[in-house]
Amino acid sequence: MDDKDNANPTILNASDLPSRRRESSVKQRDDGGTGLFDNLVPHHIYLRDPFEQPLSASDSDDDSVEDIDEQEIYDLISSISDPEHPLSLGSLAVVNLPDIRILPPPSPLSSISTVVVEITPTITHCSLATVIGLGVRVRLEQALPPRFRIDVRIKKGTHSTDEAVNKQLGDKERVAAALENGTLMGVLRKMLSTCE
Amino acid sequence: MSDIQQYLLDYDRNKRDASAVAQRSATRLQNGDLKLLTLIEEMGEYFNSGDGAVRSKTMSYLAEVLSLVPQKVLSLQQRNLLCDFVLSRTEDAEGLGACAKALMAIEDRGKWDSGRVQTIMGTLLPNTHPLRQYKQQSERYPVLRLIDTLMAKYRNALRTLHENDPNFMSRFISYFDGEKDPRNLMVVFSILTVPMAEWNIGADAQALFDAVFNYFPITFRPPPDDPYGITAQHLKDRLRDCISSTPDFAPYAFPALLDKLDSTSMNTKRDVLQTITTSVSEYGPRTVSLYSITLWDALKFEVLNVQEEDLAQEALTALAAIARTLSQGTSGPLNAYLRPITKECNEHLEDAPTKQSQASARILRTIAGVSPEVTNLVLAGVLPNLFLLFQTADTMAKRRGLLEVLVQLIEANIEVYGDWRSFGTGKEQTPANALAQFQDQAVEVMMSGLSTAPVKEVSFRLVCLAGLIQLSKARQLLNDKDIAKIIQLFHTVVINEESYGKDEIKEAAINGLVEISHQKPQVVVDQAFPAFMAQLPDSDADGSKGYLPVLEAFAKLAGEDKIFDTVILRLENKFSSAVKQEASPPYVVALLSAMLYALNQGADKLAQNQETSPYYQDIVLPLLTRTSSLDESHPKAFDDEPTLDLVGRICNIIIRSLPLEQQNKISAELYALFGGKSQGELPPFNTSASPESNRTMIVSTHVLASFRRETTLPCEVPLLISSLVTYAQQSLLSAPVRSASLRQISLLINKFLTTPALKTCMEPLLQAPFDLFDPEKLDPLRIRVIFACLKGILLRSSPVLSTLYPQLLSFLSHPQYGLIVAHGFATLLQPDDLLTKQNHCQISGLHKQKSFALLVPNITQLIRDASPETKPNYLIALSGILQWTPFDIVVEEVSQLVPLLLQSLDLKAEDLVKDAAISTLTSILQERPTQIEEHAGSLITRLLNNSTAVPAGKSNILSSKVRNETPMNSVKVRASALSCLMLVPEKLKQEVVLRFRREVVKRLTNALDDRKREVRSQAVRCRAKWLEVDEVGDEDD
Amino acid sequence: MSPPQEEPCTTTIQPLATLSPPSSSRVWQSTPHPTLPIIATACSDRTVRVYSLTSFTLLHSITGGHKRSIRAVSWKPGVTGQSVLATGSFDASVGIWRRAEGGGQEEDYTHRRRGDGDEEEEDDEDDYQFSCILDGHESEIKSLSWSPSGQYLATCSRDKSVWVWEELEDDNFETIAVLQEHEGDVKCVAWHSEEDLLASASYDDTVRLYREDADDWVQVAMIDGHKKTVWWVEFEGSGMPMRDFRAEREGISEEQKGYVELMERSGPRLATASDDCTVRIWRRKPREGAAPSNSGMPSIIRSVAIDEDWYLDAILPQRHERAVYSVSWSRKSGMIVSAGSDGKIVVYKERWKSAVPNGVKAEDGTENPEAMQGVEDSALTEWVVVAEMYSAHDVFEINHVCWAMRSDKGRRSEDEEVIVTTGDDGEVKVWVLEKSS
Repeated sequence: MDDKDNANPTILNASDLPSRRRESSVKQRDDGGTGLFDNLVPHHIYLRDPFEQPLSASDSDDDSVEDIDEQEIYDLISSISDPEHPLSLGSLAVVNLPDIRILPPPSPLSSISTVVVEITPTITHCSLATVIGLGVRVRLEQALPPRFRIDVRIKKGTHSTDEAVNKQLGDKERVAAALENGTLMGVLRKMLSTCE
Repeated sequence: MSDIQQYLLDYDRNKRDASAVAQRSATRLQNGDLKLLTLIEEMGEYFNSGDGAVRSKTMSYLAEVLSLVPQKVLSLQQRNLLCDFVLSRTEDAEGLGACAKALMAIEDRGKWDSGRVQTIMGTLLPNTHPLRQYKQQSERYPVLRLIDTLMAKYRNALRTLHENDPNFMSRFISYFDGEKDPRNLMVVFSILTVPMAEWNIGADAQALFDAVFNYFPITFRPPPDDPYGITAQHLKDRLRDCISSTPDFAPYAFPALLDKLDSTSMNTKRDVLQTITTSVSEYGPRTVSLYSITLWDALKFEVLNVQEEDLAQEALTALAAIARTLSQGTSGPLNAYLRPITKECNEHLEDAPTKQSQASARILRTIAGVSPEVTNLVLAGVLPNLFLLFQTADTMAKRRGLLEVLVQLIEANIEVYGDWRSFGTGKEQTPANALAQFQDQAVEVMMSGLSTAPVKEVSFRLVCLAGLIQLSKARQLLNDKDIAKIIQLFHTVVINEESYGKDEIKEAAINGLVEISHQKPQVVVDQAFPAFMAQLPDSDADGSKGYLPVLEAFAKLAGEDKIFDTVILRLENKFSSAVKQEASPPYVVALLSAMLYALNQGADKLAQNQETSPYYQDIVLPLLTRTSSLDESHPKAFDDEPTLDLVGRICNIIIRSLPLEQQNKISAELYALFGGKSQGELPPFNTSASPESNRTMIVSTHVLASFRRETTLPCEVPLLISSLVTYAQQSLLSAPVRSASLRQISLLINKFLTTPALKTCMEPLLQAPFDLFDPEKLDPLRIRVIFACLKGILLRSSPVLSTLYPQLLSFLSHPQYGLIVAHGFATLLQPDDLLTKQNHCQISGLHKQKSFALLVPNITQLIRDASPETKPNYLIALSGILQWTPFDIVVEEVSQLVPLLLQSLDLKAEDLVKDAAISTLTSILQERPTQIEEHAGSLITRLLNNSTAVPAGKSNILSSKVRNETPMNSVKVRASALSCLMLVPEKLKQEVVLRFRREVVKRLTNALDDRKREVRSQAVRCRAKWLEVDEVGDEDD
Repeated sequence: MSPPQEEPCTTTIQPLATLSPPSSSRVWQSTPHPTLPIIATACSDRTVRVYSLTSFTLLHSITGGHKRSIRAVSWKPGVTGQSVLATGSFDASVGIWRRAEGGGQEEDYTHRRRGDGDEEEEDDEDDYQFSCILDGHESEIKSLSWSPSGQYLATCSRDKSVWVWEELEDDNFETIAVLQEHEGDVKCVAWHSEEDLLASASYDDTVRLYREDADDWVQVAMIDGHKKTVWWVEFEGSGMPMRDFRAEREGISEEQKGYVELMERSGPRLATASDDCTVRIWRRKPREGAAPSNSGMPSIIRSVAIDEDWYLDAILPQRHERAVYSVSWSRKSGMIVSAGSDGKIVVYKERWKSAVPNGVKAEDGTENPEAMQGVEDSALTEWVVVAEMYSAHDVFEINHVCWAMRSDKGRRSEDEEVIVTTGDDGEVKVWVLEKSS
């Protein structure tokens, strides 16, 4: 990619990107500490004592259900790298948390949820918008359970030919065929290689 | 028949025999049985043979003989004669290689004078020019070697040759034209470096340059069976040496290189950049100054529009190299070079933060790190503009972008000028640091940035913080007053600020304080400590929790040697006053925790000055008395077992490094310390002691652990042990107290019994009344005692084991308690934080091997004929051991173990076991993948089965319903099964895994819907790996 | 959401079988053999799987011919002694496969089980032999279809073109038309059940019809009514007015009799399924004076203007929440089944409008006024949902649905039909309609 569509995109800083608070702070420590002292007395002496171990499989922390939410979707796709810069879609603000929506099943009889992701190309005529969109869709198809339908769109008004691109990204058959195209797959694999 | 005849005969039949013949001739020459003349004569007819092959063999005969003749055998005259003769033979198209060998052999037997060397060159070159006419690489190689030798040994002779004959050089250069063989090329390059580096080549420079640059870039790929092991890198390096060998090349080199920089091949670009770096480092300031700007104009693109990160890195190195070379010269050229750079970077900074502003920052930072001169010029060229932009910046993001540059420049500055503790690369004699002119502005900007920006501006404030840290580190830059201000700001952040997001700011501030304390300990003590102390209430009657972050920060500071003691002291004071004020248990615990954390930080310090350490008197004694006292000096917190554990650990870490006699004193009064009662009333001797005094076991265990092996205990060890054995088996002990007493058993057995004593001590335990190992008397509590004893013994890998282990193994089939015993095996090798070297335990380096060898083979044996009911017990025991055995030990048995490990993955409701099995399988995959290949199928299926909480095949429709059932596998098992499964495609051969791909990818969708985020993300990674297996590499588009 | 509480909806869709073994990756389309109780499935793993509809097990796995996903399969009608199968693939090529048939002894295959795609079947006598490949399309083939006579094979592709091939003699195919009317990939081609009239549906949201005019294939009609990609087209079976509810002529009004007349003159109708979540029925305006068009009238007297006028006949009650990928028209009962991205199967049937004034009709919730816009009010019939099935393929999308003759032991009548669905989960499922009275 020699002549880039946007040679000099603005870059967000990692610590400003939306992220899930780390577990310890998620279960709000009421003592206001960071847990520095928590392991002074190794837990295994009392807890991991195989004689005392509960023979039932479920660990204490296992009963709560953590549902797939927008942040999780964001984490899945923000680490994809842009095909023309060695930068992540998150730091380029191509994908943004507020532009991700999860729609519940339309009826109690259905179990199909829908993920809608609106991407914002770095500039309005970015010819790679389709590739980026495809990357996002493929990543989510690989990483989300099949009960999710994935709609990737270009955010309204951020791209000259957004409708055309949206139609392509929405076309299951074309996406499937694209994934059998070695060259394109090569590009995608490079983009996804930075995903953790 | 003459030797030469013999030689010719043997030559084709058997080279070795031929050489033997040559050897014979050589010997005969040596002891005079053979005259040199005769030798020559004998060869005569063959040199005149019509068959070129014969002629060349004859010459190689001569060459061999000469190379085998010892030194001094041949006179100077003979050597000259031979030399002329051989030289004359170089007219012959055949046997040139042999000629060269012969000449080298002659040279080897006596130095030549310049005249002769010149004749040789003067004859050889015309006779054989150009060398490429000789198609055989093996023919050309010796010639090149010869010339190389001459170049090496007779420089002046050859140089005069060049100086006296203007045409020599061009002939010399063209002589090597078209050499393709890598091995020869290596020699050619080294030959040519001599004239390049040492001769005055003015007119011939270009020709000489072209001669080598024709080979640029080296794209040679060595054949798999290359006997000489010459790699592309070898060639690249030699070629690079040539190009950088003389400034005379600059006019040709730089244009040519920059031209190649437009190549699309990353390798070429990389090669170009590295060559530029070496060249500018070699050519010297005068030459480089002529090209510095051209180079900058070309190189900057590699950084500003970075495509390949490592190319950008190379480009930066090159830019730095230019600056380095220039700063060796006069200031003019350096200025001239830096001016356009700072100018352009300044322009890019205007729209920070962008890709290019970041790139500019990298450029400035790299160059600024070169030398004091450069740093100062860069700072002067950039900072005024930077601060100006900062004032006028309209967004936080932009301000952040600008400060990031500033911080990097300060880092570079420290590299050169050093920090408070050490000089930088600039050493001592350095010009004044230009940063000084900007320090106030920098401090001001970043202080206000950190203190006034809204908390949600995390990255911005982080940058300010980082900048302030750097500033306070910079050698002799800020005065203590400024640093004090910074420290103050930091601890305000730590103490008073609301928690936000991931609390990156607070964390950074604390670490900042620690870092500064390395540089300016006293300032930290004077500034931060009072502030911190002020935050710590004597009593937390008001129920405030604010103290914890403060304590954490404070405890971390103990990491700095110079302030360790102060930290401990302050904490101790705070603790005692808190206790006096009857502070709440949580607060007391927090203080103790902080103290322990701090002590751990300074553990080495304690170990060093053991004699002087005041902490036993100041800390341990008061704590011990408080533990057992019944009056108000005994804090409520001390009724809580975990708290006592803390107390115990504090005592332990302090006592364990005390000298023997001091320990003896402590030991003697140990029981007195616990309430001054007589031994008999105390546990473990008194099995009907009060809960309070039972709890003291926790502390005494830690104290016991801290004693040296030589320390005399307050009572007979065997007695103590046997009492403990009884004591530990009481049914009504709290878990902590029980485990404390069990660990006392292990400690005693491990530390305080001599090898003979060990036997005599174990005996009674094994017989009545204890009958420790009597299956009849087996019960859960007893089982724990057994393992406690074994634990102490196995660490010193005593021979007793070989009698005890078999009995232990036999328990695995015990109808009632087999399962419990099985679980016990996990404790055997499990690391224990009391049974350690620091606690003076006997820990044999081989104890794991020993236990492994005594247990594992037997278990694998026993499993074969175990009943279905007891089989799980063996599997559980097995994984219990493997779990803690280093892989290099496990590896011995791998082939037998794999099937068993796989079976243990089928166990129901044994998550700890499965988890252990999986981690062993994981290491097998990593270290010995081939061992597991044949089991790939069953490994994959089992991992898949363990990767989900719901039974396989269960549809995840209306998943909420399914997801609320109790899971089959724990989160940990699910996650580790997945990460293990992720290794499979990576470690096993493609053809092995390929056929599983589709199914794995399909079944993993269940794990993608796991109820736990942690598991899901593992599943995502794992699935991605599997999706990569066989990608249809399409040729047709 | 809930289906209308009326007589028709006492029907339910019951699973009968899942063809086994299923493919481990996405399957695209399944086509029943015109005469034998077997069905061919196009798989993304580059194979075609031929299953028995008697035992529901795999008979053959046809591998090796294509370099990429096989997207579509079509059996050649009207051949005896052998089965001829055309396969269309993402590798832009069409494959023709042949297999000698022992004359309807399907039973004995059904005892045979074939492993999933064993390669070593290549030279196995009674297996499908690769016989030739048709190249020409520039990109992925999306669909193909033999004309009812078996004379023509139509193919379409992402290259926006529709090709018509004619088989002169075995394995000698000639391209007789390359139709490039569409502005986007062509998703589906289908032949009229009585005439050599070809329809194609496209990414450009339109449907186009073509026929031969003076040895030259030309577009004779263009249908645009869908708002998004049209995924599927299919013509109504031949002479349905004699078979479905319209066959009962007793006790219907003159008006209704006339209406049937009219429909017969229009000939088979066209059903289309689209990304806009609707299924639509299109009808041809009969030419004045022209005889019912099923006649093989001598081609000398070709009508001057060959352009045809197709108009919207009905929009089926909208029950899909996402793209409808496929719709199929029963040749026996005239019922329609549709399926798509939302994993639902919906079965509709046509009936006489109840005499009640139009207003009341809305209460069965099947038709919302604006959905019916553009539909001629003159229509005397209406479509109602008789059954629907959620999550037919677990949570996966359904790529194709069709009717097939039931031929397992449990068959209840000569012309009982089953519904066959093909899904992203790699499974092909067989369903029966149960009157749950």
